[in-house]
Amino acid sequence: MRKNLLVLVSSVLLFSCKEEEKPADNNTLSKIETPVKVLPPVTHFTVPDHSPMDLVYFPADYPLLKMAGKTTALPLMRIIYSRPQKEKRKIFDGLVKYNSPWRLGANEATEIEFFSTATIQNKTIKPGRYILYCIPQETKWTFVLNSNLYSWGLEQNRQKDLMQFDVPVEKNTMIIEYFTIATEKKSDKSAEIIFLWDDVKTKLPLSF
Amino acid sequence: MRKLLVLFIFFFSFLCSFSQTKLPEVDKSPMDVSYYPGNYPILKIQNKATEPLVARVLYSRPQKQGRKIFGELVEYGKVWRLGANEATEIELYKDVQIAGKKISKGRYTLYALVYENTWTMILNKDTDTWGAFKYDSKKDVLRTDVPVQKTDESVENMSMWFEKTTSGMSLIMAWEQVKVSLPITL
Repeated sequence: MRKNLLVLVSSVLLFSCKEEEKPADNNTLSKIETPVKVLPPVTHFTVPDHSPMDLVYFPADYPLLKMAGKTTALPLMRIIYSRPQKEKRKIFDGLVKYNSPWRLGANEATEIEFFSTATIQNKTIKPGRYILYCIPQETKWTFVLNSNLYSWGLEQNRQKDLMQFDVPVEKNTMIIEYFTIATEKKSDKSAEIIFLWDDVKTKLPLSF
Repeated sequence: MRKLLVLFIFFFSFLCSFSQTKLPEVDKSPMDVSYYPGNYPILKIQNKATEPLVARVLYSRPQKQGRKIFGELVEYGKVWRLGANEATEIELYKDVQIAGKKISKGRYTLYALVYENTWTMILNKDTDTWGAFKYDSKKDVLRTDVPVQKTDESVENMSMWFEKTTSGMSLIMAWEQVKVSLPITL
């Protein structure tokens, strides 16, 4: 009976949290830790990237809202980033080093575009496209807006830093397998950009 | 003991379903990006880029998964988003020419009207949109026909990339055994 229950428990775990049962893949490790020198193949006919790219809009799911006829306004913000997985590794103060710039994802530098003038921590940000990276520490992250667009995320050109914002680090009660960026609406014109990975969560509040 | 386990199962499923409703899941058809020049961001940080960035295409990559794609999943005579999820976006960082027409730099949505032997490529001004469900031909910037070619092997993951040509570059699209090339003049 106990055995049966164990099987049941593990199958529930498997089905309800299937993302956590990813086999370790050597390619991933080398991909994430690869020094800048290695040139990956151009993407034709290749398998999808192990750290898939994703889009985040504010308002959330803007293209879907637009398709459903629920908005006619322009979007306010868009983020393009790639989503690495934890794969049983220690992420913060492990794979992602404290006090060093981190691209907030994988592959290309994370791109953030403001379609309207934005305000973060009383600083005004002109509409346009920027790179967003962070310098993580144990209790705070420093987010940095930078103008070195269309660059791979392993090397930041610090001379092109534009502004930075400190936010406190919060802890999650659960482990997040895929690095995740999401927006949480506070009002029609304000939101928190939420960053989650492993047991860490940070929030960057902004308004338009 | 049994009660405890049941409780545990219940609690754990609750936690997991909570996390899954709240957080965006990983897309089954993941997004990808291609540049001209190819791999531009890597070349850039290595100071190896010999040409400036000209174009970038953002698209989501559905898989064939044993299905018949063209003529079935992607129906002939219908406008297709060239991928999955959001409509495919092409951004030009300088003015180019396509089919003899000047296309100004900027962000566009790229659709295809798919037939057996030709595709009509459509460049449209309505960006940040989902699929082709709200496609509005009044916002077209360009329509041009390109012939369908065959690939030797079947392409599982829909793929798009740029290739250098004598007059500039071509945007190549491939899935199943179909390959299409859109010439872009610089």
